[in-house]
Amino acid sequence: MSLSSEPARGFAIETQGLSKRFGSQTAVEGLTMRVPAGAIAGFIGPNGAGKTTTIRLLLGLVRPDAGSATVLGHSLAEPERYLPRVGALVEAPAFYPGLSGQTNLEVLARLGGHPGSLVAELLEVVGLSDRARDRVGTYSLGMKQRLGVAMALLPDPELLILDEPANGLDPLGIIEMREMLRRLAGQGKTILLSSHLLGELEQLADWLIMLNQGKVLFCGPARELLAQRVEVVVESQDAIQLDVVARIAGDAGHAVTREDGVLRIACPAGFAETLNRMAGETGAPDLTLRIREASLEQLFLALIKGDHP
Amino acid sequence: MISVIRAFRSEVPKFRRWSVLAVAGAMLVVSTFIAYLTFHQIASGATGREMAGLITAFPTPQGLVSIIGQARSLIIAIALVMVTANLAAEWSQGTLRNLLVCEPRRLRWLAGKMLALVLFVLLSMLLTLLISGTFILVVAQGQGIQTAAWTSPEGLRVFLAFLGNEVLCLVGVSALGMLIAILTRSVAAGVGIALAYILVVEGIIAVVLPQVTQWFPGRVFNTIVGTAVPLVGPEPPQGYPAALGAALLWIAVFVVVSAVVFPRQDVKA
Repeated sequence: MSLSSEPARGFAIETQGLSKRFGSQTAVEGLTMRVPAGAIAGFIGPNGAGKTTTIRLLLGLVRPDAGSATVLGHSLAEPERYLPRVGALVEAPAFYPGLSGQTNLEVLARLGGHPGSLVAELLEVVGLSDRARDRVGTYSLGMKQRLGVAMALLPDPELLILDEPANGLDPLGIIEMREMLRRLAGQGKTILLSSHLLGELEQLADWLIMLNQGKVLFCGPARELLAQRVEVVVESQDAIQLDVVARIAGDAGHAVTREDGVLRIACPAGFAETLNRMAGETGAPDLTLRIREASLEQLFLALIKGDHP
Repeated sequence: MISVIRAFRSEVPKFRRWSVLAVAGAMLVVSTFIAYLTFHQIASGATGREMAGLITAFPTPQGLVSIIGQARSLIIAIALVMVTANLAAEWSQGTLRNLLVCEPRRLRWLAGKMLALVLFVLLSMLLTLLISGTFILVVAQGQGIQTAAWTSPEGLRVFLAFLGNEVLCLVGVSALGMLIAILTRSVAAGVGIALAYILVVEGIIAVVLPQVTQWFPGRVFNTIVGTAVPLVGPEPPQGYPAALGAALLWIAVFVVVSAVVFPRQDVKA
């Protein structure tokens, strides 16, 4: 895990050994991570990895059992010091179904002391102006998601924490969301973005945090992770030779996927040479090996399998 | 204080929901209907032991209040449901997390919300009493029944004494609803437990331990109103000052326990 890089503007989020248990279930264990100010940080992990609990901890919704953290320079113990500068969308967007989208935002604008004129502006930004007066109960999931993003933008936040904001969005909506997040990052806002859309994160994130079973597997610059790992594509007409290669890679703890006479192995760059040599020694000499930059998805699978960069 | 006012203001738009207005409307319509039925029975010459007190009070300054006060149990039950369901729904719907990110000082948010909820409940009750009272007055005058005693200064004094104690009763019921909502964090469980407690549990315990249950919150809140107008509910066996003190103490207990528990809860909904 790389925490060495010191960004110019410091860190918007820093956690140190943060832990949270719900009964006998450990949701987050010894979580140490940082998010540089001004970065778009991708927050990745399988279901149950502890992403949402971490977000709830950062937002003061649940209290840690151990560890400490600062958000925008203030301790988790004083959420009132930093939350006015934080916008958040946690899990599925939750609204009053019997009220219109506009009224739902007005409720939060009044509570946060934000000007009412902001509500119409934000509905315009997320493309909901024409449905603003309709009951939220009639909205699609994608529309609720847009309303959730508008809600998160109400305080004109320095830090935006979004939990699966692209859930339910159509392809056009996803592209619009991506552009909006880039625009917000361009304004100097820090964005912590939890998502299962790894392709999206690969395009957006300049910082990555990978979580599994409540623990951090990686935290650092996205380019650092992506540069460390490659995808070795192994081709052969002989299925037996491919089996041999798959076994070698699997025994070494690397993620292997197989399709139509092709093996894809996510591994450190240096492993390709080792693989070629071992395959030759174990009776699989007629292989074609190509090395490509690994996708975030392959890296994610590799890390989840316990293969460290 | 500013954040409490903000929390109060943010609650106001939520009362526009049909579900909230329908419950307040039900309180008004059913209470007026019960008042009319009571009036009709008296005016049409019904007799019976349970009617004797109402018939005696009918031409007196207590006549109107004793008629419109017959729906008090319903008003208490609806107020309890209204507060419990409204607050617990913030957990059930998941909206609490949005609210607490906007206002992390939980007690200030709770104070603003409860202030708005209690005012809404009291306004609903006041509107119900005024409309059902006006309706009975109009119907009575239409039938040539003498209503001068009801609108006399003494009649007004009786009404205000009844109203003051009813306000205290509903504030107490609202505080109970708040605590139940905070402890259950679910509309279904909260409303179920609240109604079961106020309508069933206290009643069952009262059969076994009547001396003890006279101090229970539901009984205390109910009986302080019976002091002003005995015909609208039982009188406090321990006397009005003791019952009033117990009511205030229960309200303080509910508020303190809520204030201790709520800021320490994890919001997982």
